[in-house]
This record gives sequence, structure tokens and C-alpha cells, in this order.
Amino acid sequence: MNRSAPRSIDQYLRQLREELAGADSALIQDALYDSEEYLRAEVAAHPEKSESDVLELIASTYGAPDEVADAYRDTEVKVKAAMATPRKVPESALGRFFGIFLDPRAYVSLFFMLLCLATGIIYFVFAVAGLSLSLGLSVLIIGVPFFLMFITIGRAVSLAEGRLIEAMTGVRMPRRPVYQGSALGFWARIGAMLRDRRTWTTIAYFISMLPIGIFYFVIAVAGLSVSLSFVALPIAVALSHAGWLGVGANEVFLNAQPEWIFDSGLAIPILGVAGVLLLTSLMHLARGVGRLHAMYAKSMLVARTAPNAPESSQAAAPLAAR
Amino acid sequence: MEDSNGRKFQKDLNGGLVGLVLLAVLAQSDHDLYGYEIAKRLANANEGTSIFKEGTIYPVLRALSAGNLLTSRIVPSYSGPPRRYYRITEQGRAVLAEWQLIWRDTRDFVDRFTETEILSIGPSS
Repeated sequence: MNRSAPRSIDQYLRQLREELAGADSALIQDALYDSEEYLRAEVAAHPEKSESDVLELIASTYGAPDEVADAYRDTEVKVKAAMATPRKVPESALGRFFGIFLDPRAYVSLFFMLLCLATGIIYFVFAVAGLSLSLGLSVLIIGVPFFLMFITIGRAVSLAEGRLIEAMTGVRMPRRPVYQGSALGFWARIGAMLRDRRTWTTIAYFISMLPIGIFYFVIAVAGLSVSLSFVALPIAVALSHAGWLGVGANEVFLNAQPEWIFDSGLAIPILGVAGVLLLTSLMHLARGVGRLHAMYAKSMLVARTAPNAPESSQAAAPLAAR
Repeated sequence: MEDSNGRKFQKDLNGGLVGLVLLAVLAQSDHDLYGYEIAKRLANANEGTSIFKEGTIYPVLRALSAGNLLTSRIVPSYSGPPRRYYRITEQGRAVLAEWQLIWRDTRDFVDRFTETEILSIGPSS
């Protein structure tokens, strides 16, 4: 496949994006970021040459877009294989069901569900306050820099949220922010931010995190307290019969409601078993929620294709900024 | 055909070697380096012959960093996106020492066969 060699940084990045088509969107974002760092530095290091002259030699130094794309794909596969701790998957259905307790992802996901309430409140307040203040201040001159600041902080927060989600669920999220291109002017950059779909989906994600966080938190807390108290019930009864639960502990269970449970000898062990099953199901649910949430976050926070730099910026390489 | 054979062999060789070289460069440096700087150091040492393309070091840097062999920090830059400066960690130095031993053994082993090979072919061709 011999296409025309790129003659500008934008062209190079566009070709690289095409070469990486179908790869993980987070990987594409990282690859574009790294390449842009190199290419801009290379152009800046050769002030006597034009951008197209520098790009002409790039295939022999940095590598052509297809070579670089290959390097990212290969390294990603190797790192993933090296980092993934091989986990023995039990064969039997029963083993698979209870094997969840050996999966660290389930625990972190459960923790994530609890944490979501806190982060949800913070994100919601940040997004609502930022949006309304930007809107309110837009009639004044400070409205514009305020909006810029709001969006910039929002992007940093979304990157951090992505790192958190990758750590929890193992779903690949960007490790580098999206670079907007310093070639753009101030107003062009604001225009690009307003037009960028991701700006709005990020804000929508932040706002949606409050109801989602409440939902996760309630499920996690309710599930944990019900299942753990069921599990604890036979233990507590046994301890109280042995007289280890303190004086008068037997009376607690004598008066415990409903009577038909505490009167029969069978009900309490059954409840205990039900608690274990419930707890195991909750762990499965937590892991599933973690995966689903990672998919949701990825669709909202990571651009499907990185934003296209406007064609007009092509000539305006930031040479002057040295 | 010859050329693509050579290219593939070089690529296979580079798989682990790029990581070793990057660790060594960062271990020798007395200050933190960013991607472009490292690429240029390697290119200068290379003197024209391209053992590997500079674009291939970035993903490896990221992989080493993910493996806690390097730490990094971000510094804003005028010429482009913010730069990521890398520094080798203690764990990275330990791994480097281990890799160096492996590399030395491997090189000696390979040399033992290939050097005589060249000598025997050399005069006849």
C-alpha cells in the first residue's frame, strides 16, 4: 500500500489514525499524542527547513505511519500479555460461581460502586457549577476564560477518571490527554471545544454520575448489609448458644422477629446459605457493573476518532513559539 | 525480498533490545529525558544507519513506565503537546542490571558461532 508520503504534521497524524483504524480508541489517542510530540519537536529543531521538508525525511527517522502503527499494536499486545496475571478458571459451574471470590476485579468493582457516590457528587457539582457559571458569565469578558478553564479541568478530570476505571476494570483507557494543537488561535480553540462532541459527552458523563453513583451505592450497601447479616446469622446464633455472645444474648434471639424463622431449627442455616449465595451474586453483579460502567465511560470520555485538526492550521506550525 | 527479510529479522531482534537500550540511556543520564530527546540521542549514536525507527521507542517507553521500571512527569512545552519526562526507578536499575547480564551472555554465545562464520566465508567471497 503505497500512498503519498505525508507532507505536513496534520497529514501524518491523519494517516497514522487511518493506519490504526480498528485499534483501541485509547491506544489511538496515545499514539497520536506521542507522534505529535515528536513531529512538533522535530520541526521546531530545524527552523531553517519548512515543515514539508522535515516531514519528507520522517519516514527514515521516526518511521512511516504504518510502521509506527505496527509498533504500537505490537507493544500493546506484548504488554497486555505480560501484565495479565494468568488466572486459573475453574472448570465446574460451581467453581466458576464461587471463583469470583478469587477475582480481585470483583472486589475493586464493589469498592468502585461505593466510591461512585463520592465522585458522582463531586463531578455533578463541578459540571453544574462550571456550566451555569460559564453561561452566566458569558455576557462578561471573564466568561470566556472561565469556560476554557472549566473545559480544561474537565478534561484532566476525565483523564483521571479513565485511569481509575482502567485500574479497576482493566479496560484500556487513554494514558495521554487529547492534544488540541497549539497552532490554533484562542478563538479557534474555543470554537473547536464547542464543536467537539466529546466536550459535551464528558459534561453529560459528569452530570450522570450523580444518579448513577447513588444507584451503585445503594445496591452495594443494601446488598452487602443484607447478605453479610444473613451470613452472620447462623454464626451469631451458634455463638449465643455457646454463651459467647455476652450475657442475655439468648434472649435476643428469643424475641427476634419474625418468630417462624427463629423458632424453627432449619430456617437459620437456610438463611445463612442464602446469605452466601447472595454475597456471591453481589460479587458477580459488581464485576458486571464494573465492566458495563467502563464501556459507558469509554463511550462518553474517549473520542471515537481523535478530533480532526482544522485544515486551516496546516500552515501555521508553531515555529514562532520557540 | 532480501531487504524485507533483513527488516523482519531486525524487527524481531529489536523486540527486547529497545527496552534494554532505553533503560541504559536513562540510567546513564543525570537528568530526566523526554521522548524526543531520547530518540535524538539514539539517532546520533546510530550515525545514519537506522537500527530502529525513532517512532518505535515511544510505545516501549510507555510499556516500561507501566511496568514501574520508569517514572514520568509532564512538563508543558512551547513547541507541541506537553512533554513527558522519564526517569529510571530503582526497580528499573535492578532490571537493567539483570538484562545486561543476559545480553552479555547472549552476545558472547551468538558471537562464538557467527564470528567464525564470517572469517571462514570472508576470504572466499
